[in-house]
Amino acid sequence: MSKLKENFNDKKMTAVIILSCLGIVSMLADIFSYKKALWYIVLAGVAGAIVANLNEKSNAIIYDMLLTDNYAIWFSTLILALVLLWFMVSKDQYESGVYNSSDNYALILFATVGALILTSFSDLTMMFLGIEILSIPLFILAGSNKKDVSSNEASLKYFLAGAFASGILLFGITFIYGSTGTFKLDKIADWANAAGSNLPALFYTGILLVMVGLAFKVSAAPFHFWTPDVYQGSPMFVTAFMATIVKGAAFAGFFRLFYTSFTSASGSWALILSILIAATILTGNIIAVYQSSVKRMLAYSSIAQAGYILLTVLLSNQEAKYALLLYIASYGVSTITAFTVLYHVEKIKGTDTFESFTSLSQTHPLLSVVMTIAMLSLAGIPPTIGFFAKFYLFSSVLKSNTSYLWLIMVSVAGSLVSVYYYFRVIIAMYGQHEPIISSEKKQIPAFYNVLLLLLVCVIIILGMMPDVLMSIDNL
Amino acid sequence: MLNLVFLIPLLPLTGFLILGSLNNRLPKTIVSFVGCGTVLGSFVIVLTLLSGTLSGTITSATISYFDWIYAGDLNLKMSFLIDPLSVLMMTIITGVGFLIHVYSAGYMHEDSGFVRYFAFLNLFVFSMLLLVMGSNYVVMFAGWEGVGLCSYLLIGFWFKKDAYNDAAQKAFVMNRIGDLGFLLGMILIFTTFGSLDYDDVFKNATSVLTENSGVAIAITLLLFIGATGKSAQIPLYTWLPDAMAGPTPVSALIHAATMVTAGIYMVVRSNILYSLAPFTLDVILAIGLATALFAASMGLFQNDIKKVLAYSTVSQLGYMFFALGLGAFSAGMFHVTTHAFFKALLFLGAGSVIHALHHEQDIRNMGGLSKKLPITFLTFLTATLAIAGIPPFAGFFSKDEILAAAYERSPVLWALGLAGALMTTFYMFRLLFVTFFGTFRGTDEQKHHLHESPLVMTIPLMVLALLSIIGGFIGVPEVLGGSNFLKNFLSSVIIPYGEKHEHLSHSTEWILMTTSTLAVIATIIMAYVIFVVKKSVPAEDNKISGLQKLIYNKYYVDEIYDTLFSKPVTFLSKIFHSVVESKIVDATVNAVGKAVSASSKILRLSQSGNISYYLYVMVIGIILILFINNIL
Repeated sequence: MSKLKENFNDKKMTAVIILSCLGIVSMLADIFSYKKALWYIVLAGVAGAIVANLNEKSNAIIYDMLLTDNYAIWFSTLILALVLLWFMVSKDQYESGVYNSSDNYALILFATVGALILTSFSDLTMMFLGIEILSIPLFILAGSNKKDVSSNEASLKYFLAGAFASGILLFGITFIYGSTGTFKLDKIADWANAAGSNLPALFYTGILLVMVGLAFKVSAAPFHFWTPDVYQGSPMFVTAFMATIVKGAAFAGFFRLFYTSFTSASGSWALILSILIAATILTGNIIAVYQSSVKRMLAYSSIAQAGYILLTVLLSNQEAKYALLLYIASYGVSTITAFTVLYHVEKIKGTDTFESFTSLSQTHPLLSVVMTIAMLSLAGIPPTIGFFAKFYLFSSVLKSNTSYLWLIMVSVAGSLVSVYYYFRVIIAMYGQHEPIISSEKKQIPAFYNVLLLLLVCVIIILGMMPDVLMSIDNL
Repeated sequence: MLNLVFLIPLLPLTGFLILGSLNNRLPKTIVSFVGCGTVLGSFVIVLTLLSGTLSGTITSATISYFDWIYAGDLNLKMSFLIDPLSVLMMTIITGVGFLIHVYSAGYMHEDSGFVRYFAFLNLFVFSMLLLVMGSNYVVMFAGWEGVGLCSYLLIGFWFKKDAYNDAAQKAFVMNRIGDLGFLLGMILIFTTFGSLDYDDVFKNATSVLTENSGVAIAITLLLFIGATGKSAQIPLYTWLPDAMAGPTPVSALIHAATMVTAGIYMVVRSNILYSLAPFTLDVILAIGLATALFAASMGLFQNDIKKVLAYSTVSQLGYMFFALGLGAFSAGMFHVTTHAFFKALLFLGAGSVIHALHHEQDIRNMGGLSKKLPITFLTFLTATLAIAGIPPFAGFFSKDEILAAAYERSPVLWALGLAGALMTTFYMFRLLFVTFFGTFRGTDEQKHHLHESPLVMTIPLMVLALLSIIGGFIGVPEVLGGSNFLKNFLSSVIIPYGEKHEHLSHSTEWILMTTSTLAVIATIIMAYVIFVVKKSVPAEDNKISGLQKLIYNKYYVDEIYDTLFSKPVTFLSKIFHSVVESKIVDATVNAVGKAVSASSKILRLSQSGNISYYLYVMVIGIILILFINNIL
């Protein structure tokens, strides 16, 4: 305990400590019956964590396990901001009485701790711990709608597939340790540099297995099969959490590991990764075309988007960090917005199919505008942030290596296909007019209207002034 | 006083934003207050600038606000240039604009689109101010497009009538053709000078461009094409007569006093470039003169009160370009100024007549209105005298300066110019006599309701009438004891051109002046004899023939354009539609779509829902990855 205090005063790991304590506070809410105030406490706590995180001592090495460089601080900030946003938009779901908010919030907060570790690890064991801390609460959260069969199914599937992937990841880590004799990221890099082009099979097989493990976490093809089932079965905002924050953190970790340790060995994995990317983009986008549920469509869209984001790992240079930060921010905000609208539409209409969006523009003009902008952003159409994120990502890939032109062409073709299914939502909302049933006119609380408008503003303002994120020094 | 400059365009913009966002929720009094007040505010600030430029405390000031476009070599600032030329234009825009806003409050009072109308009008004033205040071509272009948009919106203001929408579209398309020229000209300026700032371009003009070089001619001609669109010159003039579909005050403000003079402003602003391209000036001279004569001849037989004024505007704009082509830039600006007064007045007077007759525009159904509408009549008469060029009304001085410049070049040009002026005099007095003299020829219903317009409309008329009387005194030539104040005022902006010609002696000038005045008076008498003494009324549409019919139908120019351009394009477009579009493009696109959809249908089956199958595929995937890695 005294060590903890020492660290806290030293401004090391403050955000992690705050969130862990907050999680415990949240668990106790039922016992000490302050559950009504819990939402405010959590919101304040997460906001505090953001401030603490920004004041984190920079470039501190913590127990030789974590390194709080600029990359760690800014990705943690982004993730915490998304978590804060998540708590705001998910309020309604946890007030509905179906879920126990104190348990759920605690699990979310613990998962967030895992996410923060994934942005700042400097040791393979920490990376593994981060992934597990992030994943285990989610196995439970996926099944948090206890009375719903598909929620239970999602939980089990997620757990089985996750356990399997963890096994492979560990396998890979063992191989790497076996060939290099260290878990430290920088030492591995030094070792690989020294080995030059003469890499032992044990080492690059290890890299490939780690890549597979991480590819599972970010749902890249052909390790994506769990995603649609789990995303569809889980409660709406748990899905939103998985699609944005979990995925963002997994990418931050993925990139950190490969950028720090494996760039010099890229000859052994770049080609495989580019094939995975192409497969992911094509599978995600093509299967999304044939979905009838918007939630499932968003699941496939998240697979496809993972394909684009993986381009940054392939790139593994300084510019890619900015592309990654920008893309996660863009994708995170747009996806949370889309899920929030979907949540309300499902609540009003009872289903999450494309048909439930029919003539939404007549009953809920604001929801329709918000959803339209979120879809435009996901499809990458100006003036939204989604456009700039894609543009910046693709152009930095081409700038650094023109031999990936084919991959960019696949990406662009995939984006074209994606326009079809994103626009299906918009067309349903505006293009068709059907008689309106009065029960469908129910409006959503004003709080959400304001929140959604704010989100839309963020999407558009960031789209017009992306410099805000690009001006961070030395990411 | 310069620190308030940003408010000049900002006030009307604020007005637009307020009115635009609170559509139909405000009482009309507040709407007119906001609409007129914002323009008045700008006018007051412009007056302080005007006094500053007159007293010489401001000569030329560039005020930058922020970087607008910053990309590669292109560094554009949102900045304003305050110098005599822009201040003169700003004074006209906000001053005449304010009067027309006030007039509109009365004229449009019964209209259901009252708020929308004022919102658009404010937006127009904002754009027009941007156009003249910008200190580089791009800001000018932004304003240029803005006024084009407002013009489009206001021509089609009563959008429920298809004909009006067609007119709006025609104006838009014609302007677009011109705008392309402007845009290309701008690009050429940028590639030649590496900058679009007036400062950089004009300072380096003489060193970069040689006289009559290809580049100089290309730049100036392209810019001039832009001007022919906006200022309704041959061959792009046809939209302006149709633009009369908009509310009459709009015709007064946009299609007579301000927007259509944007082309002249642009040429005068770039006079340094034009003086390096005498060839272009000759082109402008020819087109200006041709437009002046051609449009005037079309005005001779029109029976719609606004159409007459529209052709008159085209013709007067031609006159201004004629002046520019002669190198008499300040004479052109002088005519812009006086024309703004008397043509706005003519339109507003016509509006007052139309208002009194409940939207009757055919002069054959008018007559004898002078007694019922005394103020309208007297002010209309003033404006008519001004446009005819009777001394000492405003039009006399500006027209005389142009004619004198023409005589310096060649007596033939002078004679042609005078012929245009005489035609103008004839159709204007024809209009005046047929409308206000004789007996009333409308229905009893209309006669019963005849009334003078309310004060809110007549006061602007009176102010403009006063300006039409005294406006000419800002440019009294030396021969009449003046010092041509306007020319000196603009001398810092306009470099002298054509000094190689000998100046006319005072006696020649006297002779020219007297000749033209006497000829004008003779024409008035002729019109008086025909329309008042003989009481002839223009014939019914189906009873005219020969030359008159040709002219009445505007020489069939619209039909010729239709056959030459529209029809071939439509034909081509049909071919492209039926062959290229549906057989090639559509077929390919549909095939791709179907392929994606079909593969989606198949791939979707891989998602079986069976977890052991998922794990199996994962393992296969890992094996494949390791395998591929080993063989490569």
